[in-house]
Amino acid sequence: MTFQQIKTMVLAGVALPIFSMDVAFAAAPVPTEITITDKGCEPSNVKIASGPVAFKIINKSSRALEWEVLSGVNLMFERENILPGFTQDIKAKLDPGTYQMTCGLRTNVTGTLVAEGEVEAKPVAVQDFVGPLAEYKVYVLSEINELVDKTTKFTTAVKAGKLEEAQALYAKTRVHYERVEPVAELFGDLDPAIDARADDFEKKEQDPTFTGFHRIEFGLFTEKKTEGMDAVADKLMADVNELQARVKALVIPPDKMLDGAAVLIEEVSNSKISGEEDRYSGTDLYDFQANIDGAMKIVELVRPLLKVHKPDLLEKTDANFAKVDELLKKYRVGDDDFKKYSELTDADRTALKGTITTLAEDLSSLKGALGFE
Amino acid sequence: MSATELKGSRRNLLRSLGQTAAVALAMPASFAKAAQTETVNDQSANGLRDAETYFGPHQPGIVTEQQAFGIVMACDCLADNRAGLERLFKILTERSTALMKGGPAPEVDGRFPQPDSGIMGQTIHPDRLTITISVGSSLFDERYGLGPLMPVKLKPMERFPNDALNAAMCHGDVLVQFCANRQETVLHAMRDIIKNTPDLLTPRWKMEGFITPKAQRAREEATPRNLLGFKDGTSNPSAKDGSLMSQLIWTKGGESNEPSWTSGGSYQVVRLVRNFVERWDRTSLNDQERFIGRHKYSGAPLGKTHEMDEPDYANAPETTVMPKDAHIRLANPRTPSALSTRVLRRGFNYSNRLSKSGQLDMGLLFICYQADLDEGFRAIQKRLDGEPLEEYIKPFGGGYFFALPGVKDEAGYLGQDLLA
Repeated sequence: MTFQQIKTMVLAGVALPIFSMDVAFAAAPVPTEITITDKGCEPSNVKIASGPVAFKIINKSSRALEWEVLSGVNLMFERENILPGFTQDIKAKLDPGTYQMTCGLRTNVTGTLVAEGEVEAKPVAVQDFVGPLAEYKVYVLSEINELVDKTTKFTTAVKAGKLEEAQALYAKTRVHYERVEPVAELFGDLDPAIDARADDFEKKEQDPTFTGFHRIEFGLFTEKKTEGMDAVADKLMADVNELQARVKALVIPPDKMLDGAAVLIEEVSNSKISGEEDRYSGTDLYDFQANIDGAMKIVELVRPLLKVHKPDLLEKTDANFAKVDELLKKYRVGDDDFKKYSELTDADRTALKGTITTLAEDLSSLKGALGFE
Repeated sequence: MSATELKGSRRNLLRSLGQTAAVALAMPASFAKAAQTETVNDQSANGLRDAETYFGPHQPGIVTEQQAFGIVMACDCLADNRAGLERLFKILTERSTALMKGGPAPEVDGRFPQPDSGIMGQTIHPDRLTITISVGSSLFDERYGLGPLMPVKLKPMERFPNDALNAAMCHGDVLVQFCANRQETVLHAMRDIIKNTPDLLTPRWKMEGFITPKAQRAREEATPRNLLGFKDGTSNPSAKDGSLMSQLIWTKGGESNEPSWTSGGSYQVVRLVRNFVERWDRTSLNDQERFIGRHKYSGAPLGKTHEMDEPDYANAPETTVMPKDAHIRLANPRTPSALSTRVLRRGFNYSNRLSKSGQLDMGLLFICYQADLDEGFRAIQKRLDGEPLEEYIKPFGGGYFFALPGVKDEAGYLGQDLLA
């Protein structure tokens, strides 16, 4: 299913089952035989598997009858006017539960029909994503707005030659970018301009096309100066403003939002875990936490869907997020700050690596678990 | 039928009959004699004695059927002047012919270090070794006065948007490519060249790669797979088609402003491309296939059944079956101009150490040849820029080179027309 198709269907208000129902009807169940006599059903206690069900009703009573399956007062399905000596086939679908069968005369004892099995979740529908997507858009926009505000302060400090102020603002400005990085990455020109690392350039830090946060980070923390960075600061500000404008106009497809959770964790496992991201400032743990925040937000938004469709995945993911949180807590300074990356012990880094990799493995099936092709 | 082909058919016979007696009967007398003097593990049956031809209009190792192992070693040239350069090319010619032909390892008085590393034992088997020499644009700088003779399209490899080039793994004056069926053979040849050119070449970077040779692959796996698990090279032009190679691969001196000495040479592109395999393995099959544009196992273009089926772009341009930004669609849109500027890919897979994050550093040692660099690789890469697959791949090194024309006969040497 393409995004275009989904969008068309959402606009048309079509309830679109994303899970194919073919499988459910593929295997025809063996019909359960129930014979109805003048006294009642034989057998009168029936156990079957839930899902698609089939019955063969044989009327051995002396009058025409109807056979009904009820859940309390609700009629699930029925077959009317089965003549004496005749047999009728009935196919239906039953959720797990205990049901009552009528067995000929109203005075006859009703039979019991027990359908056993797992509750089959209702397929995820496109409407299910309307709420989470709207909320995610609000989240992304508020992070980008924060990014614009803080980048304004940050670049102003750089251009005013306020080294310490700029150093202090660096990590706390970036976190707003890192939380919504998968969205920024949809713009192939802006992400490298804002967030490229020196590794991407043949002449590394000295490369004239190296711009963005990490170029300024190099100036602030390695060269320990603000001189000569006015142009880079101006460009960063312009790029961040452009990002804001583009994100405002952006329609985020649901599969991209879901991919985002995995992408953020991949970011952590590919470059944050090694301390390569903020190598000059040592502020990697801020980015680390921000990536985790962004991924958790997405999981949070689809939590109700996951609870129904993939509770085990949700449970495992929650546990691993908690583990990461617990480990990172050791390196927190107050509410908003982290120790330097170099203080991360080898044992904790190794522990984080395992947990992050497991999260990456689990979140990689998020999109599939919620029914996307 | 060449000697190589003779031996090849003999090997097949050995396999099918599984009886040495029958083989001995079928073999020419000289081979039978050799077989008798060797052990049961007769290595003549393993292709160790198969040799590639060195002399001809083109160097070996380009349209030669691909061997199992390859190394590219980029070097800085230390020759002081043109005479030094000539000495270098003569040594490279002499060592290449000797190594590709094989023979007893040279020995000297035991009081001295030996000229041969000995890693192939006392008998150096050819093992289909090829050595291919290419030159980078930097060789045409002021040092040797070769500027006016530079192939017109040759230049330093530029950075494409998704590249993270490591200067220590890029460019070079001279690129030596070693290919053979065994890893020892390529390592042996590389050590030989290094030992014989200490004052002329200094290695700058190298990359080793591997690929299962065709004969050892399953029938349905005739096209080798890359480390993303996809068949890679399905639409490669046939290197056996001489006229097609003339059209696509071999540079024509005197045409399109190319200096006349370039005839029979070829532009060679080397790209070191890391694949983020952990992340790739965490990507759904459907997404993987959409990024590549082929079904993973069959290798068929999306929407088709067989590997060799032609993708249908013209009649279904808006199809969602084959995304417009699928790798194979961008790389080769099957337009007349794209078809007439195809490149010959002859790359290897590589697997190195771990990244700083503890992730696998493996991927593609991409090598391709074309008559015109701009119309070949550079045009293709420009079409690929921004493809969704970029999330999973990171080019970090390589360079643009020009594979010298072949050495016509034993009287000649590499680059003779360039230095004439």
